[in-house]
Amino acid sequence: MSPLLNVVGVTRRFSGLVAVNNVSFSLFEREILGVIGPNGAGKTTLISLISGTIPPTSGEIYFESQPITRFHAYRRGRLGIGRTFQIMQPFPGLSVLDNVAVGALFGHTGSGRTLANAREHAREQLHFVGLGNLSNRRADELGGPARKRLELAKALAMEPKVLLCDEVMAGLNLVEIDEVIEIIRRVRDRGISVLVIEHVIKAIKRLSDRLLVLHHGEKIADGTPDTVLSDERVVEAYLGRRRE
Amino acid sequence: MALLAQVLLNGVLLGGLYAIMALGLALVWGVLNIVNLAHGAFIMLGGYLAWHLFTDLGIDPFLGLPITAVAMFALGYVVQRGLLNFVVRAPMFNTLLITFGIEVVITYLAQLAFSADFRTINPGYAGNNVKLGSVIIPEVRFIAFAVAIVLTLGMWIFLLKTRLGRAIRATAQNLVAARLYGVEPRHLYAMTFGIGIGLAGIAGSLYGAVSQINPYIGAALTAKCFAISIIGGLDNPLGVIVGGIVLGVIESLALLYVGATFGDVASFCVLVAVLIIRPSGLLGRTA
Amino acid sequence: MTKPRLAIVATALVVLLLAAIPWFGSDVVVQFGISTLLLAVLAQSWNIIGGYCGYPSFGNSTFYGLGSYGVAIAMAQWNLPFAVGMCLGAALAVIFAFLLGLPVLRLKGHYFAIATLALALAMTAIVSNVGIAGQNIGLVLPPLNNDFLFYELSLGLLVIATLVVFWLTKSRFGFGLIAIRENEEAAAVMGVNTTLYKVLAFALSGLFTALAGGIHAYWITFLDPDSAFDIGLNVKMIIMAVFGGPGSVLGPVLGAFVLSAISEVLASEITTVAGLFFGVVVVAAVVLMPRGLADLSRRFKSEGWRYFANNIKNYRL
Repeated sequence: MSPLLNVVGVTRRFSGLVAVNNVSFSLFEREILGVIGPNGAGKTTLISLISGTIPPTSGEIYFESQPITRFHAYRRGRLGIGRTFQIMQPFPGLSVLDNVAVGALFGHTGSGRTLANAREHAREQLHFVGLGNLSNRRADELGGPARKRLELAKALAMEPKVLLCDEVMAGLNLVEIDEVIEIIRRVRDRGISVLVIEHVIKAIKRLSDRLLVLHHGEKIADGTPDTVLSDERVVEAYLGRRRE
Repeated sequence: MALLAQVLLNGVLLGGLYAIMALGLALVWGVLNIVNLAHGAFIMLGGYLAWHLFTDLGIDPFLGLPITAVAMFALGYVVQRGLLNFVVRAPMFNTLLITFGIEVVITYLAQLAFSADFRTINPGYAGNNVKLGSVIIPEVRFIAFAVAIVLTLGMWIFLLKTRLGRAIRATAQNLVAARLYGVEPRHLYAMTFGIGIGLAGIAGSLYGAVSQINPYIGAALTAKCFAISIIGGLDNPLGVIVGGIVLGVIESLALLYVGATFGDVASFCVLVAVLIIRPSGLLGRTA
Repeated sequence: MTKPRLAIVATALVVLLLAAIPWFGSDVVVQFGISTLLLAVLAQSWNIIGGYCGYPSFGNSTFYGLGSYGVAIAMAQWNLPFAVGMCLGAALAVIFAFLLGLPVLRLKGHYFAIATLALALAMTAIVSNVGIAGQNIGLVLPPLNNDFLFYELSLGLLVIATLVVFWLTKSRFGFGLIAIRENEEAAAVMGVNTTLYKVLAFALSGLFTALAGGIHAYWITFLDPDSAFDIGLNVKMIIMAVFGGPGSVLGPVLGAFVLSAISEVLASEITTVAGLFFGVVVVAAVVLMPRGLADLSRRFKSEGWRYFANNIKNYRL
């Protein structure tokens, strides 16, 4: 089975600092891939490279076997790559509904839609993430957890094939985390592959089919959650070397 | 060859004056993120103040600089504290509009108060020259240049090395933190704007000594100061020296080789080029 | 009748009323009308790039000048009819928008504003040196003494411009522009081709501005670089658009009408202080109603006089 998303030897330099160093991995259909690593490991940079927000210094990215390395962000969005932002990026002056409608209008299935149709679709996504009753509020009136859900709804409205989630559980309590895990599972069941960056190890362990670990911009482990989390290098990266 | 040297020298001397003209604008813009469309009008006011000090009280324009500076500083403080502070947190667009309104008000008040005649400040030594080889250096222009350079360097030192200067920069970058440290942002913003206008006043006095003033020069001067600030870059206070000299030399060369109107074309084309190729300016840190 | 239907009918009535003015208004009124209508077109055009797309252009006067010169050159130099001149002016504007829009639209906020201003200033200087444009002396067009026609033309142009803006609020393109305004990076990631959309908005804005310039040139019969590329127009159109309410359909038109009326009344009553008062009005408006008349009329019902105090409270240091 060929991978949906194939990242090959991708590197990103920021004048002297190497944020992502020769990272390669694949994302297959209907799977949830977790990405973990200490702060500054390059996780968000990796997502930005895949979504097209920043170009790689070297390496290639393939989506459905098509090279998309040179594609602008908007083209990747139209092809079916959706993402949420760690630092949330709503359209502040627009209503929650219209925020999501943008995704419906310009995403993967956007080009044929009318505004009314887009808003209908947006409503469905808002219900899916549990924000149905907040559709008419202004986006900048929402609190933190609601904003996270809005980010998800916006990306989902694009009807993506791949969803890149950047720390959607940050700052949530245990109940809210469970709800988000449930939502992501249902997203996967809709046929969307999800790449989830997370800090909450317990949550990501439950959620992921596979786990990827980044440290100082490099991939240091890739496999099932159990294998990866018992890997020495991973433990060392998080906790430091054991003193004997 | 001698002509070229003269033209280049003229350009450099002009550049010094341009630097001090733009310094106030660049300071307020770079530090407070306030784009002051009325800056040129304040320069014009400084010029008139110096003219009156000279004509009515016989005070030499250079010796009277401190008076003009303090008076204009006070004006700037009041304008910021009493007016601009109320729109600082609005979309930045609003500061553009409000300063435009202020520009209109100042220009009209000046027209009423001073009449539309052209004025120049002519101290006794106005015509004196110093000859250096085959180039002529007008005394007044040279003194203006020297004052401008000294003040610009002084401002650079002030912002980077003194406590107040650092407080100003810190406040502009992080209002909340500044408040926690006991700094009163409203006062500091007003101080900064006051300094910016004080500098405009000084520039006006110098301008009045080397060129003519009338109530309408404000807009053109503002445009020029924008060009200087952007070409030099807003990150570094010394940028205005670079921007000023680049512009001064370009204008002088254009004047010599192509004609008066092309001086302006050249300036603005350089400005557009800088904005497109290197928006942070020649001395700016690249984004 | 539902509210939107009511609004449309009301607007149509107002347009008919305006169209009827030349029949029973004096010459002075008609002339004032032409100036105001053209200014309203400028404000509305600016609304497209500044209000809806969020890129505050300080250089739309460039398009005005290009439109003016398009008509002037076609009619005075090449003896072509007015319609051809308008097409020429429009073409010049659109080409300019694409060529120079691409680099300049990469800048944000203040920098974009200044770049467009610099372009406008440069154009004045450049055109002063171009032979076919009559250089500094300018051009004289064949005269047409028919204020009635110019009035209806201007009104027609304003109606079309407003309809286009209305279309923006209902179309995918307009939605994309608004998304760009609210958060460009998010818009791009969600599939909006930001570069293309921005340039299209700029070109659309320039198109209507140029057409207004063309009508104005033929009406005035004479133009020179300084008046055609009048920098003051930039600030006027922006203030009218912002005063009325940027990002709304009728706001800029209202702003243009109200501010022109105030200006005219002042000019005839208190001539010396007229300009001064305009500046004071602008300053007061920015402090008290930064979101414009459109927002004021919407919120005044619920907030009353507190609206003004709230604005100050929200935006003060």
